[in-house]
Order: sequence, then structure tokens, then C-alpha cells
Amino acid sequence: MASRQKKIQHLFLRAGFGETPDRIHSLLNNPIPSIVDQLFATSKDYKDIDYLPYPIPEDEEKNGIGAFKLIKMFLKSYGDMEELNGEWLFKMTYTPAVLREKMTFFWHNHFSTSTPLAYLMQVQNNTLRKNALGKFGDLLHAVAKDPAMILYLNNQQNKKAHPNENFAREVMELFTLGVGHYTENDIKESARAFTGWTVNAKGEYQFNDKQHDFDEKEFLGQKGNFNGDDILNIILSNKQVAIFITTKIYREFVNPDVNMERVEQLAESFFKSGYDISAMMRNIYMSDWFYDDENIGAKVSSPVELIVRYKKLINLDVTNKKTLVDVQKALGQVLFFPPNVAGWKGGNAWIDSSSLLLRLSIPLYIIRGEGLIIKTKPHPEENPDDTPKDADAERGKITSDWTALENTFKNLPGDKQAESMIESFIQCDDSRIDRNLIKTGWMNTDKDTLTLNIAAIMSLPEFQLI
Amino acid sequence: MERRDFIRNSALASASMMVPGFLKALGRNGLYVPPTNSNGKRLVVIQLSGGNDGLNCVVPFRNDLYYQARPSLGLKDADIIKITDDVALNSNLQGLADLFNNGNMAIINSVGYPNPNRSHFRSMDIWQSASDENQYLYSGWLGRYLDATCDGTCAKPYAAIEIDDTLSLSLKGDVMKGLAFSGPGILHSSSQNPIIRGVANEYKPNNDHPEVEYLQKTLAETMESADYIYAHSKTFKSQRTYPANAFGNHLKTIAELICSGCDSSVYYISLPGFDTHVFQKGQQSKALKSLSDGVTAFCQDLKDNEKFNDTVIMTFSEFGRRVAQNASGGTDHGTANNIYVIGGKLAKPGIYNPMPDLQNLDEGDLIFNTDFRQVYATMLEKVLGVNSEKVLGKKFDLMNFV
Repeated sequence: MASRQKKIQHLFLRAGFGETPDRIHSLLNNPIPSIVDQLFATSKDYKDIDYLPYPIPEDEEKNGIGAFKLIKMFLKSYGDMEELNGEWLFKMTYTPAVLREKMTFFWHNHFSTSTPLAYLMQVQNNTLRKNALGKFGDLLHAVAKDPAMILYLNNQQNKKAHPNENFAREVMELFTLGVGHYTENDIKESARAFTGWTVNAKGEYQFNDKQHDFDEKEFLGQKGNFNGDDILNIILSNKQVAIFITTKIYREFVNPDVNMERVEQLAESFFKSGYDISAMMRNIYMSDWFYDDENIGAKVSSPVELIVRYKKLINLDVTNKKTLVDVQKALGQVLFFPPNVAGWKGGNAWIDSSSLLLRLSIPLYIIRGEGLIIKTKPHPEENPDDTPKDADAERGKITSDWTALENTFKNLPGDKQAESMIESFIQCDDSRIDRNLIKTGWMNTDKDTLTLNIAAIMSLPEFQLI
Repeated sequence: MERRDFIRNSALASASMMVPGFLKALGRNGLYVPPTNSNGKRLVVIQLSGGNDGLNCVVPFRNDLYYQARPSLGLKDADIIKITDDVALNSNLQGLADLFNNGNMAIINSVGYPNPNRSHFRSMDIWQSASDENQYLYSGWLGRYLDATCDGTCAKPYAAIEIDDTLSLSLKGDVMKGLAFSGPGILHSSSQNPIIRGVANEYKPNNDHPEVEYLQKTLAETMESADYIYAHSKTFKSQRTYPANAFGNHLKTIAELICSGCDSSVYYISLPGFDTHVFQKGQQSKALKSLSDGVTAFCQDLKDNEKFNDTVIMTFSEFGRRVAQNASGGTDHGTANNIYVIGGKLAKPGIYNPMPDLQNLDEGDLIFNTDFRQVYATMLEKVLGVNSEKVLGKKFDLMNFV
């Protein structure tokens, strides 16, 4: 059975982005329920990301650039997107509200959106964070009126005379019910209810009554002059939403191999609680089964989870923000750029030969102190002639600081040292790990072995599992 | 000795002493698996990223509508190479024109899908996954080709190779995934990390923990593939001139692998720079010249080594462009597009189907008449020798170009 230490690590890796061994060691004598309470308490307060200012200067607004505001936003956005990416990674690493941040990250994948308007992605990110631990219904209503989402799923083009069904389809297929719980006609009818939900020139939600279809609709067996909010409420009254969302949460936070019996129990109370996200997450973290061996180390960490874990453990940092965006790209997950509205698949899909080789090579790159130059595919709108050359000295440069970890382990006797490090960094069963390889793989002297040994453990495939 | 030097040296020293234990674990014939396709043919896919303006590649130079829609961007006599009585190629495609005239190229017009999407990302997603336009798949068509070859034992990752640092969705199957690397040397050196080598060498199937098993098995196969690629990259070194850019280098790498006896059945490569909203002429000319010069050198290498007859090359792009030029001397995102198929032994070279109908447009866009998955199905059945329905989820009418 997994040790108490691994159980606490398990909680922090799933409910947050992991913690340092020192922090874990300091909690070893606390009962798990009190640690869970603490996690929820520290996630009550939070701050928005306000890194990007509203992109249209006030004087221009007075001069009435009108419809061009969104275009101006777009033109400013290229570099902003990388800045915003770095800012969110920073927040994930250093916020005390780790649970809220992890949920925000989950909802970013669930309500998968990507627009080239960085400011609007920041607005959406704050909306997700605000509602991350609240009621799912509030979150759903907020996202349906979120400017980035409206633009991404073409609701801007959803007009009474020519309904666009994109948002109506995805809200049921991917955000609430799942395939098979509605008909094509339900999509057609509900699309009419969302007509006129638009984004104005300032980049804000605006109801355009001229484009809205006020007539009667027939949706999921009910008839009425429904508007978009009515449609969302009818969807939410179906218990299938609770099952759909709970399944996804279970897969992400408990085990990719879903136990349907447990999901149904969780979904039952989720539905009864009026979709209280906090209550459901608390149910999970307070249960005994969450800490069963089969759930510990059962999940391949996502690229962003892996990067934030490195940042927490060894202060991984870069001098050019593009470097970490490149790493995300090479590993298959760039914040604010999900592949499509279905989001990232996750699990084993993160792993192919090249992404695995890169994941396992990162510790060696770090301790060699060499640049991590990754040549990712250019953005489709990019002219390859304009891309910066590899010679850019700062590009690819990675910095790290191992002092904290060295201090944690340096006073332990030699034989205990390796075991304690394995206990700290490997979540799954570690009995098959070759201790000799860790000690001798990169060394045959005892000089500076500690950092090398930790880096060796981080090079094991098992380190990828959380 | 500096610590970093030590690490580097010890990496090289220990790797050479390692006994490749994972080979035993993977079976006696682990290293030299015969090609996955039964007919010994190989497919080379060239992705033109950004949305290639096919109408300024294959030019209907006798069609007034073309010049009316493109008063300044329409290519005149000096900028075209006539290949039939009424069709010409962009003059930057001299090499392709020669291949066409030698009967080594087929042009398939008006390829696309219904309700075309104009987002680069979504449309590329559709082309790479071979999904319907309102369907989301997490796997790509060439990855599912690898899946389809699994019959008790699966093909190795190197059966489908992408020359790039990252693997495209096209080559990710539900079970199997292809192998991406930017060069055999780089792949080789990252595979020499002694910790990673050590883990791969000690690999034994672990039924107790499916995730650990998945990672370790993938690692062992990656090491095996890296060794295989390294061994099959050295016997042939091309003396030809490829474009001096990433695309040229990558294409040269593929030529060297094929001519060194690498028996992978799929090679995949991208050429960016086709999103020509502004001042299209200069930017597209440059990209097309890379394409044409690169493919010319590539085909010469294959011919010299008697590999051209069992190779089929295809190009594609996520969409074509609007028929009418825009106000910035460029073109905006469009819909249907043409595909070029090149090979030593094509069944039906030439202009495969009628040129696009410029009279009947859908709000200014070309209307597709050939589903892109018909092209895929044809490649899967006739080049790669698998059941296309298994890969594409439904039956598509096969075509006759190969």
C-alpha cells in the first residue's frame, strides 16, 4: 500500500500542481481531512490575471474607431499571447489558491476555446477562475456569454435569418450532455434561441435584439419562446449533465480508467447539490478510495502539469518566454491553444516517441545548462522568413535552482538518501526501479552526486506519472 | 574535468557498452521487421501549411474569369509554363512541369469537403484526422493506418516517419504512433542518455501497472527505432542540391533514409509559408520554388537509386484560397484545392479531372467535387495496401491515379 507521504503528494498533485518535498514533509503528521480543508480554505481568495491592459487606448475610443477595435486587438495579440501564457504558468506555480487554479485549468480544457485575441482569452480565463469552484450552472451561463467563446464558436454569425448552429451543437455535445442525448432538431431549435448573443466592438457581450429570434422553439420535448438562458436551464435540468461532467472530472482527477459505479454516486450528489463543484471535489478528496493504490500515479501528467512541477521543484525558468511556449508546443499542450473545441485528449495521448524522448531528456538538458532549442512548426499565418533564427542567444536558455532540493536531502545517510528521493518524486509503485542506475548512470565519482541523482530520478518514465 | 563534460563523455561511453536487452524483450526479429505494407511501396506526404493558393499553381490561362477575378494577381504569359493546351503551371514550378511532361505527375482538382472551415487550425485538423467537418477525432489518418497494420504484432514507430521535432496529428493513431525527428543524428544523440538507455535495456513487460508499461514499452520502441534510423541513414549521402532551408534539409534526410534502405512506408514533411493575404506573389513564389526544387532533387535521388517506381508523393494544404484577389495584393482563405501526386509509376498521370469551375462559385469560393478522403482511401488501398474503410471509418470511391 502507498505510504502516507505518497498519499499526501497524490492529493497535492491532483488537487494542485504538486508541492516541494519540504512542504510535504511538514504535513506528514496532519490528518488528510485537515489538509483537504486547508486546500479549500486557501482557494477562497484569488486574484484575476490583469496582466494585459484593455488594448484600446481611451482617446481612440473617443475618436470612435468603432468596428475596428476588434481588429486592433487582434493586431496587438501575437506577443501578448506568449506573455499571457507565461503569466498563467507563473500563477499556477506560486498562487496559494492551487485548487482553484487546477480547476481553472480543467475548465480551460472543458470549455475549450482559442481565439487570437489575447485580451479576450484573459477575460475568459478570469471568468473560469471566478466560477471554477462555484455552481456549474453559473459557470455554463457565464461561458455562454463569454466574448472569446462567442467568437470561437461563431455565435457572432448566429442571426435570426441565418442561424449558425456551431455553439448550440457544442454546448450539448461537448460541454453538457454528450453525444446521444439530443437530436439534430434540438440543435436547430436551440441555435435560434442563441441568435443575437454577440460581441460588441469593445469586445464585450451584447444582446442584439434585432438579430434575436423571439418565436416559439421546441427543445428537448418542451415548447416555449425560449431564449439562450432558458435553453441552458433546460439542459441543466437533465441529470445526464451531472453524469457527463462527473465522468470527465473522475477521469482527470481520479483515474483515466473510470469506475462508473462511483461516478454515478458522485453525479447523484452533484445533481442534488445544484451542481456544486466544490462539494463534489471535496467528496472526492475526502473519500478513502481516492487514496487507493490503483489511483496513485495512474495518470500521465499533462505537459503544463509537468512544466509547473519543474517550476515548483527547481524554479525552472527561461529568459525568453517563447522557450516555454516551444516546450509546450513540442509536448503537445500550449495554454490558450487547445487543438479544437473538444480540447486535449490527455492520458496516454500525450505520449509518442518524440514527446516521450523530450520529456525524459529535460533533466539532462537542465543539468547540462545547455539551451533547449526546439524547432516547432511555425504558426500557419507566419511567413517562415520572418521567424527568429536559432542564433538568438536568449532563446532556449533555461535556468534552474537545485539548492532547496539539495538541502532537503543532503543530511540523510547515503542509503536513505536515494530511497527518500524516490519516495518524493515517484508516485507509482517504485519497487522495480533500478537503484543502481540512478546512482551510477551519470556518475562514477561521488562529486556533486545529489543533483545528478535527483535529475536521474526525474529522467525515469515513472516520474511522468502523477 | 567540468561536470558537464563528464556527463557528456559518460553518456557516450556507457551507451556503447550497453547490451541492447530490450531487443530480446521485443522478440528475436525486433530490429528488422519487414515493411508493414505488403507491396513494398512507400508514401511521401508533403503538407503545404497556411493554405496554398492552388489557382496560382495550376493556372487556367485561357479562362477570362480567372483574369477578371485576379486583375493584378492573375499570372500572365511570362509567369507560367504551359503544360497542356489550356493549363499552365506557375513558373516557379519548373521541376514539377518537367515531372508532369515525363508522365510522373497527376493533378487532382477541386478536392475538399462539405461546409468547408476557414480556420487554419480546424481545417488542418479535419485534413489530418480525416474527420467529417463536424466531427472531432483524436487520431490522424496515417496513425490509424499504423493501427490497421496491427495483426497480433504491430508495426514499429519508424514505419511512419515525420521529419520534424514534433509529431503531427496525421501520424498519431489510437494505438500506434509514428516517429518524429528532425535528423537521424539528433535522434541518435538524445537516445544515448544513459539513464534512458538503461531503462530501455532493462525493459520487461509489466502487467501490474498499465501506465508504466505503456511508457516503458514506448521508450523501448523509440530506442529501437532510433537505432534502426541511425543504421539506415549512413549508407547513402546525397550529392544533389536541395533548397537551403529546413524543408530542403528534411527532404534530403528522407531521400537518404529511403536510399539507405530504410523500409518505412510513410514519410511526412511540412513546408510553411502559404498564408498569402498580403503581397502574395513574392511569398508564394519563394515557397513554390522550394517545393519544386526540393521535389526535383528528391526524385532524382530516388531515380538514381531505383526507388522512384515504388514511391508515391502527394501534396495537400488545409484549404485553397478565394478566387478573387483581395485589396492587398493577396488572397484570403478559401475552400477546395488541388492535390499533386508524383511518382515513377502512376496509373493515370496528367490532369486527372476537369479544372475548377470558375463560373459556379459558392459566395466567391470554389465548390469541391472530390472528397479529400477519396484521395486518402486510394493511397491507403493502392500504395499502403490496407483496407481503407478500417482507417477512414467508411467506404470512399477509389480513384485511378495510382
